[in-house]
Amino acid sequence: MLSFLLLHASISRNAQTQNLQLKASLVHELGLTDLCLFTEARYTRHLSQADLYTAFQDHPLSLEHFPSGSFTEPNLSGIR
Amino acid sequence: MQSWLEKQRYIVDFTMSSLLRRKVKNIGLLVLYTLIVFILASIIFFTYAIKREAAFILQGSPEIIVQNLIAGRHDLLPVSFLDQIKSIRGVANVESRLWGYFYDSLVGANYTLLTPPSQAGSLKSDGKKTFVGSGGSDIPTPTEEKNLYEYEGAPLEPGTLIIGNGVARMRSIGKGDYMPFMAADGEIMNLKIVNTLASESELVSSDLILMHESDFRKLFGISSTYVTDAIVTVSNPSEIETVANKIKKHIHTARPIIRDEILRTYSSIFNWRGGMMIVVFSAAVLAFVIFAWDKASGLSAEERQEIGILKAVGWETSDVIRMKFWEGAVVSLTSFFSGVILAYIHVFFTGSIVFEPALKGWSNLYPNFKLTPFVNAEQLTTLFFLTVIPYTVATIVPIWRAATIDPDTAMRHTGN
Amino acid sequence: MIELMNVRKVFNAGKANEFSALNNVSLHIPGNRITVLKGPSGSGKTTLLSIVGCMSRPTAGRVKLIDREITSLPERFLTDIRRSTFGFIFQQPNLIKGISVLENVMLPAYPLGDQRKDLCSRANQGLEQLNIVKSGSKVEWLSGGEAQRVSIVRALINNPSIIIADEPTAHLDTKLSYRFMEIVEKFKSEGKTVIITSHDPLVYDSSIIDKVITMRDGKIEDTPA
Ligand SMILES: Nc1ncnc2c1ncn2[C@@H]1O[C@H](COP(=O)(O)OP(=O)(O)O)[C@@H](O)[C@H]1O
Ligand SMILES: [Mg+2]
Repeated sequence: MLSFLLLHASISRNAQTQNLQLKASLVHELGLTDLCLFTEARYTRHLSQADLYTAFQDHPLSLEHFPSGSFTEPNLSGIR
Repeated sequence: MQSWLEKQRYIVDFTMSSLLRRKVKNIGLLVLYTLIVFILASIIFFTYAIKREAAFILQGSPEIIVQNLIAGRHDLLPVSFLDQIKSIRGVANVESRLWGYFYDSLVGANYTLLTPPSQAGSLKSDGKKTFVGSGGSDIPTPTEEKNLYEYEGAPLEPGTLIIGNGVARMRSIGKGDYMPFMAADGEIMNLKIVNTLASESELVSSDLILMHESDFRKLFGISSTYVTDAIVTVSNPSEIETVANKIKKHIHTARPIIRDEILRTYSSIFNWRGGMMIVVFSAAVLAFVIFAWDKASGLSAEERQEIGILKAVGWETSDVIRMKFWEGAVVSLTSFFSGVILAYIHVFFTGSIVFEPALKGWSNLYPNFKLTPFVNAEQLTTLFFLTVIPYTVATIVPIWRAATIDPDTAMRHTGN
Repeated sequence: MIELMNVRKVFNAGKANEFSALNNVSLHIPGNRITVLKGPSGSGKTTLLSIVGCMSRPTAGRVKLIDREITSLPERFLTDIRRSTFGFIFQQPNLIKGISVLENVMLPAYPLGDQRKDLCSRANQGLEQLNIVKSGSKVEWLSGGEAQRVSIVRALINNPSIIIADEPTAHLDTKLSYRFMEIVEKFKSEGKTVIITSHDPLVYDSSIIDKVITMRDGKIEDTPA
């Protein structure tokens, strides 16, 4: 039963490569950096452009009122 | 051997009829269990698929983005920086980006406004070289690219827009309609929508509005000496990090973001450690533990009596345990399979409808996306060990204690 | 057939509520006979039966079954012996609710892994002999007498040589009690050994009884046979 599920997954994955490529090329063409998952806060719309170290910047690990912020992590590389 | 097999069959049969006996209780158990597996499996499927999809799609994102930070805020980048960056060794090309957010008070949605970089013309030729798809097959044909944001072969012109599918949905507008904006100087700009972005690309483009550079500058009152940030292309991909460091050294207020960091950000999105995820996850695990515990400690007097009877009529302790093992296995496997299959349908066919309120948060614009089913056997195994094994163990342990009780209890606890 | 030597049974040993249910009981239960253990409630009859029937172990003393010492055998063997040698009829029918009469009757044979066809026909035959026709119905629907007869069929399914019955008539009316004694008589004619505990005169004064052992406070009272 589960192998059927895996089979289905791999078949539809193949079927959707075209789509994936479409998205990838759009990202490339427009110079996009992020997935459009959360449109509620600027640091979750462009998660990778947000950071953890800038003073007073609301960041996704703080307690705040945007739900999306509480299950994402910002670009952590700034702390290196 | 023959009789051993027959014996197992008897025990399984008895287990089944014994499960059917307590229909309400066992169905309740099954539903609860399935629900927990469903939630856990949905989380695992969803997060994994998002991560894999992001990893694939964002391969095409810029090698280095340079932001300008002033007094702790992301600020506009002076155009003069572009030449400074260009002069750094190892930089192949520098491209400016103009983008920002726009709050649409009419529908309460946030849009991302963007000027397609290729208007300057240079990115296309240079960018393609460094596109890091895994092999030539990943690079789409030019005609496909054009369809994305050019209409009828011509690039975006002043006074026109191309909107993402989410924007079109929010405002119920489309090709040929006009969208009014109030510019920074108070003037009303009525821009014509000449196309919408492909609905298949909503995961990256749902909230986008593409506009011409001149419109963008007018709308936000940004002078031509400033851009939002810069895209840097590096001549040798292995030098990305070095170049980023050099940029930082040259321009002290610059914050370079390299593609690896972008990819890393998305490979750690929805991390188990992160906020809400741990809440959801631990809630599910807790519920599971509670009910396994309840199951474990809640050997009712009736069940004890039954075990006593079975032992009195000649069942061995191991037979009783085997029976309870099958009981636990039947319940947990049934729930496991149905939970996993429901989760699969949920995540990959219904667009994770259960999670939508949480993912949506306060935003009004939510992309309609269909995830590519990245599922592997490893995930299923993890899930299996997370749910089936502990449950089965939790059911056996107390039974084992009970089953070692002397069978003469059957003669005493007369519960009929 | 069965021999008990200085058997003691202490419950909750070492605790405040320590209770000595059997004190140095020695007795002999003859084969192919009907033996009745009589005595007031609490005198240790059930305790004695459970030791004889390999359901619990004596605290001290020895038990011999057909010249074989069984006191120190591991649980597995005891279960084996119990399954193949003894048939138990309890005070309560002790049937498992929710499953059919037939399944209840076949329960003791499950661990033996007999052919299903043989087992079913054996069970049906047994039920027929005791005039139970509702083999497919659930045990909840049975009357008290029927339930007991089902439990008797269950006790006989593995064809045991010793039948143990603990207060079998306690929940039966006079008519059903006589009916039970008839069944017991049949056991004897089939060459089985029967041990019954009871404080019901209808049982221990019955003419078919071969031996009566009287118990009081965990000891055997000497009665002339
Ligand atoms: N598991 C036990 N723990 C403590 N005391 C027990 C236990 N089983 C029986 N007894 C006690 O042992 C005595 C003898 O019990 P039992 O053999 O059932 O008597 P009878 O069957 O003659 O009525 C009773 O006083 C009873 O309370
Ligand atoms: Mg008793």
